[in-house]
Amino acid sequence: MTEKLDQLRNSVGPLQQDVIDGLASGSLNRRSFLVRGSVVGLSAAFMGSVLAACGSDDTSAPATTAGGSGDTSGATETTAGATETTAAAGGIKEGGNLRIAAQRPGSELDPISMDNLGSYTPVVTAFEYLCGPGEGAALAPMLATEWTPNDDGSEWTFKLREGVTWHSGGAFTSADVVATMDRLSVEGGKLAAYLAPGSTTAADDFTVTMKLNTPDGQFPYNVCHWNPQTVITPADYVAGTTLDKRPDGTGAFKLDSYDAATTAKFSRNDAYWGGKPKLESLEFIFSDDIATQVTGLQSGAADVIVQLSVIGGEAILNNPEQFTVTAIRGAAHRQLWMNVREGTFTDVNVRTAIALAFDRQALVDTALGGKGDVGNDHPIAPVYEFFDAGLAQRERDVEQAKSLLDAAGKAGLAITMHVPKLQEIPQLAELMQSQLKDIGMDVTLNVESTDTFYDRWCKVYDSKTEPAGCDGGEEFGIVDYGNRGVPDVYLVKAYATGEWNSAHYLSADFNTAVKDYQAALTLDDRKEPVSRIQKIANTDVPYVIPYFYNGLFATAANVTGVVATGLGHYYCDKAGFTA
Amino acid sequence: MSRYLLRRLGSAVITLWLLATIVFVVVSVLPSNVGRQILGPFAPQEQVDALNHRLGFDRPIIIQYLQSMRRVFTLNFGESYTSGAPVNDVIFPALWRSGKLALLAFIMTIPVSILAGIIAARRQDKLSDRAIVNLGLATSSIPEFVSAAVLLSIFCVHWKLGKAFANPPDGATIVQQLQYLWVPALAMAITYFGYLARMTRAGVISAQHSDYARTATMKGMSSSQVMRRHIMRNALAPTITVISVQIGYLFGGIIGVERVFNYSGLGSTMLIAVGKRDIPVLQGAVLLVGIIYMFSTLAADLLIAALNPRVRLEVSK
Repeated sequence: MTEKLDQLRNSVGPLQQDVIDGLASGSLNRRSFLVRGSVVGLSAAFMGSVLAACGSDDTSAPATTAGGSGDTSGATETTAGATETTAAAGGIKEGGNLRIAAQRPGSELDPISMDNLGSYTPVVTAFEYLCGPGEGAALAPMLATEWTPNDDGSEWTFKLREGVTWHSGGAFTSADVVATMDRLSVEGGKLAAYLAPGSTTAADDFTVTMKLNTPDGQFPYNVCHWNPQTVITPADYVAGTTLDKRPDGTGAFKLDSYDAATTAKFSRNDAYWGGKPKLESLEFIFSDDIATQVTGLQSGAADVIVQLSVIGGEAILNNPEQFTVTAIRGAAHRQLWMNVREGTFTDVNVRTAIALAFDRQALVDTALGGKGDVGNDHPIAPVYEFFDAGLAQRERDVEQAKSLLDAAGKAGLAITMHVPKLQEIPQLAELMQSQLKDIGMDVTLNVESTDTFYDRWCKVYDSKTEPAGCDGGEEFGIVDYGNRGVPDVYLVKAYATGEWNSAHYLSADFNTAVKDYQAALTLDDRKEPVSRIQKIANTDVPYVIPYFYNGLFATAANVTGVVATGLGHYYCDKAGFTA
Repeated sequence: MSRYLLRRLGSAVITLWLLATIVFVVVSVLPSNVGRQILGPFAPQEQVDALNHRLGFDRPIIIQYLQSMRRVFTLNFGESYTSGAPVNDVIFPALWRSGKLALLAFIMTIPVSILAGIIAARRQDKLSDRAIVNLGLATSSIPEFVSAAVLLSIFCVHWKLGKAFANPPDGATIVQQLQYLWVPALAMAITYFGYLARMTRAGVISAQHSDYARTATMKGMSSSQVMRRHIMRNALAPTITVISVQIGYLFGGIIGVERVFNYSGLGSTMLIAVGKRDIPVLQGAVLLVGIIYMFSTLAADLLIAALNPRVRLEVSK
């Protein structure tokens, strides 16, 4: 280790040293180093110095404003996180109204209780997070300019950005952050698992410290865009206040008007801390289906669409001269759940047989046009640094599947599969139905609107009756999971006893592995429990995970600089129309 | 005439009450926990119970029914379960949008179809008659959403002469609004053209063969005078009745066209409300459509009476 690197290493805490050590030893590549470094609060400049000290040819720092970067010529791919369309030669024109075809809000614009992408979009356009999207899965400063853990990751200190003003006037200060965190920490709140009310304290107007319930080396991921409800709202913005009733925020655009049936209109915030946006205004045009959005982009009625499916999006994907399509490689996936507690799927042989029925590469090729990674019946995506590639990939084996069904006394099993009418899922269900037929199963599809489907999936969360979990849903179906920077949501909510555990899966070994993973403070420490998690989930098969799909979003060719995350965020502070 | 009007209005109130009662019964028998519906599957049961109490869903069914009737007759439907907005703020803008689209569709279709029906009747069994009848059969047999999708592809995507998203921006002038609405209105007009043209044709043919038309002709009136003064006044009655029924349908039933053009009219509003089980919005929208049906049929009856002295006499009795 060079003297310079030693100096840099000794100037930071143990969690940050671990990331530097990972780069020095070669266990982290440049990309992973920038991601991990951003999470534990290493500044862009500091990481550039570390890369230089390690002799890296590319010492460029990651993005430091709200937005990452990605290659976007034609249909291109970025990794695990946010992506943006890059500025074209000739620059961006001043002004213009950017029209984004977005999902219709499904609930009130309440920052705390919102629960769907459509509602996220207007809220997260007005309000911002402590940490924002950086390059790939990295975090970048947003309302916090830097963050530092203590030695064991049980306490995190955030330095807040000075000079930020609310749209309604008045300065953004630590009081706003403390009040927001307290609102999110009450029982049932989005941060209740991490923070207790009163555990966020302000040292001064621009410094807050959060004392966690248990140490967490990745805590900033919980106060960033990956946890949409953690937007920072004014101190007196009590629970139940909605954005349309009381427009406010610190974001680059201010809400002017909102009609849940048609549009949300924003005008630029000239006082934005990141500089005055180029665009004059933003308009989110709400609709209910992808086909309408595709037609809107094709006809020029919209400039941007997100969550494009390969099936149904051919007109956009096959027209690179008029449209730019960006693929975000990440951890978003589909789960085929099977109720392991009661009914048809209590026997692991039945579940394994079903898992063995699928030709996953064929599913990826047909349903996604090849834009995805094959899944192996666990929620750890290949893009995660701690992914264990050593676990054998489950391959299609029709004969073994048939014999397992026979052994379980379920030969010729007839069952209904419940699926939402969402993106490519109905087509995926048809492909699965066809492949399951090969092992003798007779699957009937029940495809229904997302308005009612989620009652089939996980009707009610019962926290009072042990074991706690969702209850009242169907025993067999496909559900969607969006992209996340870390897999904690999947692990805790879908597998460990949690509110999205539609398989009713309960495994002490699995839960121990998850706890070990969450308690691990360094990347190396996380690898072993993650390996266990993969193996247990793959063996117990409460869910078949056929693939991890790339999020696709498309813009008209003359639009540049839009940062999309696949979770309802469209950061347009650097966006505009090309000259 | 005033007695007739009063009688019709009284009958309208009874119809409204029946409609509101049917909506209430249907909603009440649906297996749904309203509080759970609003707060979602993960809300604590205590909060769900408290909300059900606040909304009155824990009260006896008769009390709920009376509250429902009060909402109907005061036109105050409460708040939307999903957005929290007053229902009137949801349904009346949607009604206004549906009204604009329906009006444009009628302006496009009524004169053309009546004219086509008259031409077809005057040239019965000739080439032009066959052409109009067959064209009408063809257009009315195509579902609205199919013609909407085809027109969208041609005029909005390919030629870019119309707008794929038909909601005009706030503050749009009438001309700008027409740019947004003409393609979906054309889709609706195409569908109704055949129906109205055939109704007009049948009415005119029937009137042409009537005694009074023959008498008028024998008295020496020109064929255009006979057509204007005698045939049309009688022949249009069924067409007007059909139009009045279609008004209600156009306000609430053009869901396919609204979906294709991402237009937020009353049909889409009802569809979304059904999907989300947003009962207050659904109840308000259904009753609004019912009211429109009643007023449009009343207006049609009055118009027919104005056109036809025999009907006017019966109405005055």
